[in-house]
Amino acid sequence: MNNLKGSQVKAEISLMGGGDSLPRKSGDLVFHDGWEKRAFAMAIALHESGYYQWEEFRSILISEINSSGETAANPKPEEPGYYEHWLSSLEKLLRRKEIL
Amino acid sequence: MSSNHKHSEPANPYLEKRRNGEETSELEKRVSDIEALLISKGIVSKESLDRMIEIYENDLGPMNGARVVAKAWTDDEFKSRLLQDGTSAIGELGFSGLQGEHMVVIENTPEFHNVVVCTLCSCYPWPVLGLPPSWYKDAPYRSRIVLEPRKVLEEFGTFLPEDQEIRVWDSSAEIRYMVLPRQPDQSKGASEDKLVGLVTRDSMIGVGLPKSS
Repeated sequence: MNNLKGSQVKAEISLMGGGDSLPRKSGDLVFHDGWEKRAFAMAIALHESGYYQWEEFRSILISEINSSGETAANPKPEEPGYYEHWLSSLEKLLRRKEIL
Repeated sequence: MSSNHKHSEPANPYLEKRRNGEETSELEKRVSDIEALLISKGIVSKESLDRMIEIYENDLGPMNGARVVAKAWTDDEFKSRLLQDGTSAIGELGFSGLQGEHMVVIENTPEFHNVVVCTLCSCYPWPVLGLPPSWYKDAPYRSRIVLEPRKVLEEFGTFLPEDQEIRVWDSSAEIRYMVLPRQPDQSKGASEDKLVGLVTRDSMIGVGLPKSS
């Protein structure tokens, strides 16, 4: 089990805490725009139809998110958000599978 | 932050990250291009995507996790199965599926309070909690909850006793965590249905506590 103890994960996430305040309870919209839902559903549908393992999608998503360089101390509102990363990951995977 | 924000508006960096109209139409086009292609190849249908969105928006959600917690509060044997093998005990109640594999349920005690994060992306137990709220997916939560959990919990309005240790659990593809919150003392003896109403999503992530009544 991975019970994290402070320093252990610092290297892993390379994100340092900052003074920026966290969103509160009410900030809990799941989707903002219609395209986010479609992109979300397509990634799952393709996995469920056996075009790829979920882990393959997930690992691309992780690298997309990491490449944004956004941290708590340094939020970048001008950079793409979560579902933009999701969409780019889907496009990459579809190209890799020669579907796109 | 501009001063004309309403007081009720949360300080949510994600909300600042809204796209303008032009960006949104570009994104819409990228998505509809993929969708049209997949439909023309017979890989997906519009109806199956609609149905899937409906399931994720309506059928999966914290109401399922709340059932699991309420049952654990009222049934000791279920609770020990749940802590032993989360995936199969949760499956007994009919909740399973993508991102619901490899579930580990961790119990809050007077000594330890547990809180869950996914530092790498957004791993989250969909069948029992639904899709994650936006703050769970954003960099501030993913980094700060590990480094200063007590402070972050306080920002959520959750104040724990000084001597209760906070443990942070990092979900991944291998293990997805869910917190079993402590049953509020005032609710002992209440029916399972009544208890379901006390269990909040945030209490199962660990950033909050159940309602007391």
